[in-house]
Amino acid sequence: MKRVKTTQLVPGMRLAEDIILPKTTVTLIGAGTELSIEMIRRIESLGLESVGIDETQAHSRDETERQLLPVLARNHKRMIIAAEELIKISDDQPLEEQAIRGLADDILNQVEMDPSLLLNLTHIKAYDNYLFSHSVNVAILTLLVGEVLGYSKKELHELGTAALLHDLGMLSIPQEIWQKHGALSPAEMEEVRKHPVYGEELLRAKGFSEEIIKVAREHHERCDGSGYPDGKQEKEISFKARIVAVTDVYDACISSRPYREQLTPQQALEQLFAEKEKYDPVVLNAFISVMAIYPIGSLVVLNSGQVAKVIRVSKNNPFRPEVRIYFDREGNLLEQPPRINLAEEKNHTLYIDRTLPAEEHKKLAAMIDAAAGRN
Amino acid sequence: MKADLINPFLAAAFDILKRMGKTDATRGQLRLASSPVCGDEVNVAVGVTGDLLGQVVFCMTEETAKKLASNMLIGLPIVALDELAKSAISEFSNMVTGNAVGELGSRDLICSVTPPTLFMGKDVTVSAIDLDFLVIPLQTKLGDITIYIALREAIS
Repeated sequence: MKRVKTTQLVPGMRLAEDIILPKTTVTLIGAGTELSIEMIRRIESLGLESVGIDETQAHSRDETERQLLPVLARNHKRMIIAAEELIKISDDQPLEEQAIRGLADDILNQVEMDPSLLLNLTHIKAYDNYLFSHSVNVAILTLLVGEVLGYSKKELHELGTAALLHDLGMLSIPQEIWQKHGALSPAEMEEVRKHPVYGEELLRAKGFSEEIIKVAREHHERCDGSGYPDGKQEKEISFKARIVAVTDVYDACISSRPYREQLTPQQALEQLFAEKEKYDPVVLNAFISVMAIYPIGSLVVLNSGQVAKVIRVSKNNPFRPEVRIYFDREGNLLEQPPRINLAEEKNHTLYIDRTLPAEEHKKLAAMIDAAAGRN
Repeated sequence: MKADLINPFLAAAFDILKRMGKTDATRGQLRLASSPVCGDEVNVAVGVTGDLLGQVVFCMTEETAKKLASNMLIGLPIVALDELAKSAISEFSNMVTGNAVGELGSRDLICSVTPPTLFMGKDVTVSAIDLDFLVIPLQTKLGDITIYIALREAIS
């Protein structure tokens, strides 16, 4: 290991030590990670003078991910647990504004580090507590959209905090209702539809900013006036609430809920766009450039007949993501699934021909997960 | 150029237009045009190499391109032909040509396609050396799309 000045780092160098967020125990980048331009910017912004660099050969991207993913997965899980602890309000445990803002910062840091890997995590719906994993995932998606829209760091911080707290009012609704199996009765539905109002009251009582309060109050309002609680339209709805409206619906669709079938990422996008008059076109546009046409986690059929999973998307090339081929054209699960970047010129004769129908998607996704579990 | 080479391109165009462009298409009168031919407002050229050599060019107005891109992008409103929209039109052309070339493969004509090149401007001309273009006009509810095909068998 040798020490390299932060200013002299170049992409491809491999870390010999963990980079820890100052004043925390959160590992920002794990030892062994090959540095990308984004990570180097991140390290610079932390104000570190030098970092330990491994002098042996550079790792392939695959190995980088193998190392980075567990770190991000741990942090993602930790963020959800933190969200639960911080957001859950009881009489003896007040909602701590500073702590919530700290969590929003953590999420923002993760988002800056490797959006694609983080998006992969939002598709792992293994957490028991829907409300808190949903809050963290909506914050991740919202921050990615905010970045595309060119928000400043300060604004992103506010946006992330608002996204984390958008469903706070749900805590005022009896758990039996929002965890109920099967359809809600009209009376229960009416109660659920009050959560934006409850959220506003809670946040106002805690002294949060008007912008954050508005996101909680307005995230179920729709541009065509069909939303609730006030039936506001377009510009009457704050812009941040218009962003969270989109990310909230998307994450809800790809999550498995007691009363509803889980949609595939592609179906969730289609659902959103089938009602596009409800959402802000600028937000939809930004959302597509984050998610692409075949979002991360989608199983797709290539023109070669193989079935692949989307693992990274590239900006401005929504049809040509990076995929991992899991099934050959005969439908056999591959033991060592190769990774292909469809955006690379040498791969341009391959293209995504179609997505899988929901049933098949579910079946094959389960096979992939089972195989991953064996390794 | 043999006429039966055209059928895979027609079939591919109908199929991709239906699935990705969400529109049916009808074929107008086929004709031959000598090189060079004039493009339309939005043009994408895809080269073919291998047992067949030549070019396939897709031409349409900007209005049609925006509508096609929007349908390919799950209905995203397209105001201007930005990078996102251009990537959709390029991918459309790549898919039609790739699909047709794949079909030709089952006739033992092994070909590959080059990456699509998109160029704008009504006054551009496209040349294919020593070859005439077969012109396939397609009518769709998104507007007209013209496919120019100039292919010859490679001399082995």
